[in-house]
Formats: sequence, structure tokens, C-alpha cells
Amino acid sequence: MTSCKISALFKSLFSKTLFMSHQQKSCEFRSYGTVKRFYRKTNVLKSNGKYEISLDQRKLKTPKGNIFSVESEPLALAVAAEWDSQNDKIIRSKMHITTLCNTVLDNPNNHTKFDLANYVTNYLDTDTIIFQTNEDEELYKFQANQWDPIIEWFNERYDTTIQKSVEMLGPTVAQKDKDSINRHLMSYNFNSVYGFVYSVDTIKSVILTMACVERFINVEKAVLLSRLEEEYQLTHWGRVEWAHDLNQQDLQARLSAVVLFIHCNNQSSKIQTKNI
Amino acid sequence: MAGGTSTLRQIISELRQVIPKENLKDNLMLKYIVNQYRKYQTTDEQLCKAKEEMDFMAKTYLCYLQSSKLCRKIHEEFHSKGERTVEETAKMVGFKLPHDPK
Repeated sequence: MTSCKISALFKSLFSKTLFMSHQQKSCEFRSYGTVKRFYRKTNVLKSNGKYEISLDQRKLKTPKGNIFSVESEPLALAVAAEWDSQNDKIIRSKMHITTLCNTVLDNPNNHTKFDLANYVTNYLDTDTIIFQTNEDEELYKFQANQWDPIIEWFNERYDTTIQKSVEMLGPTVAQKDKDSINRHLMSYNFNSVYGFVYSVDTIKSVILTMACVERFINVEKAVLLSRLEEEYQLTHWGRVEWAHDLNQQDLQARLSAVVLFIHCNNQSSKIQTKNI
Repeated sequence: MAGGTSTLRQIISELRQVIPKENLKDNLMLKYIVNQYRKYQTTDEQLCKAKEEMDFMAKTYLCYLQSSKLCRKIHEEFHSKGERTVEETAKMVGFKLPHDPK
């Protein structure tokens, strides 16, 4: 999935370079190499009701060169803490909260909220936890035991009729159900819907994402459930730190960043109404 | 509140490990988290739901800090140095090279 995205990104960048003049190139591209930490202190500034991050006297900018600004205070603080926790090198690929904010600020693919919500809803057809095995009896028991309660919760919460499947072709999700999930997603703001996309790409499941954002299960549990088969195979074949643990911790970091991101983006409006 | 305090302690200890010492004293994130805990501790009877929510978010943030740290450590240990030497590889699986003393 990621490698596919990277190649698409390369393609788009490459095609741009071919048809661009030198001047445009210089303003379009910034250096993405690893940079040494060039600042001592990070701080959060408030301007025009939004929060900006400062690294010493410089303002943090997004990859496209816009000023980095978010509406939620805790989100800005989390980003500042993330920048402050870079040791001697700035490793951008591991700063998930910053990445999420950057993507919604720049919106490099010019997606609309509608596109993003559609992407998430269509993912329901291939949701990890509705595909259960029909080959391994023991694994099936394990899956039914762990996954079925989540599907049940989801159906009850969103008034849908999603069924699990043990067939190769998989179940079809009714259009009515998709519409109702779509409506629910559209009630969130753009930033949050992007968070859902990121999370669905991370744990390959809309149902687990919703359960985690709605606080039905915590992040660790959601990641565990998304890699349930892997976890089952580990009991037979052994655990390798540099693959399994790395994958698990990476997914947990990404998913928890999303949950915080969605929460902060929704909370800001709530706080404002309280203060009035 | 016992569970809450331990989460708070863990968050502080995680932040302490990653943020440079001289910046810790006036770190805004730490101040914010402690303030939130104070705020919801005094009014937890009225704002029960909000407290639960804050607890969940605090745990999520803790998970973020811990997982990021572990992820970085594992990556540094196994993936960041390029190829290992023959000695290192042998040592990893408990072997010795032919010319090493027994």
C-alpha cells in the first residue's frame, strides 16, 4: 500500500519537473533530507485565534511553505512537544501529529471532504474484521471471539446490518449502510475526516477506527485486533522484534496520533461554546 | 483518581526522557496536562463524562509517546546502521568465528 503511494508520488513529482521552468522548481521543492536540530526551544504562539509553533525565533512552516497554524491548543502543544523531542537529528517521518496537521494544511492532493468520506465508506467493503478464515478452525474461533463483539457494537451504534463472511468473495455492504456511515463522517470537519482516512490506511479497518475514535476500545486493543492473525501465527512460529514489535509499535504510534488529532479537532468548538 | 495519577506520572516520565533538560522546566505541554488533571479532578462529579474522555485521551497520548519511543529504539537497534559485520552477526546468534578463542 505504502510502496504504491510512494511510486505514485514519485510519478507525480517527476512529471511536474519535466514540465516546469527552473523558477517554479525552486519554489516548489524544499529539502526533505534529514536536518540537524537547529533550534533550542520550541514555543506556541497565539495569533488571530490560531496557534502557531515557533522554533527559537523562527516560525514553523509546512512543506509547501505555509505558516503552520492549528485551531486547537492541545494539538499545537503536542506538535511543539514533538519538535522539542527531536534529539540531534530531525526525523520528520516519525512525527505523526505534525504530519497529519501538515497534510490538512497543505492538502497536496486537493481532496474535498466529500472525496475523503467516500474513500472511507468504500473501504467498508474490504474491512479487515469482516473477512474471517474458513481454513483454520482454531483461528476462526479466535477471530469470532475477538472481532464479532466489535461488529455487533458497530451495527448497533450506526444502525447498520454489516455481516461477516468466511467466503473468498466477501460480503457486500448495503448502500443504505454506506450512506448512513457517509452521513456520519460528513458531520465531522475536514481535518477529522482526513484523520479517519489516515487511520483506515493504518489499521485497514473502518469498524476498528470508529470503535477507537468513539472510545469503545483503546488504541492498543484496536491495533492488536487489526493484526490478530499475525498475533495468532506468532504463537506458532515465534516473535521477531525487528519485524513484529516494530510493526506493532509503529501502528500504535500512528493510530494514537490520529485519535488525538480527531479529538483535538472536535474539541476546540466545544470549548468555545463553553466559554461563551 | 489513582489510575489517573499513574497515567499522569507516566506521561511526565516519558516527556522527561525525550525533551532536553533545560526546556523541561517551562514546557507548555507538561503545564497543560497537569492543569487539565487539576481542572477535572475538582469537578469530576459534575463533568463525569468529560473526565472519562480526558482519561482516555491522556492514555492515548501516553501510548503515543511510548510507542514512538519504542519504535525509534527498535529502528536504531536493527535498521539504522546498514549491514552488520560477520562478527556481529555471529555474536547475535551465539556463534564464534573459527579463529576466535573458544
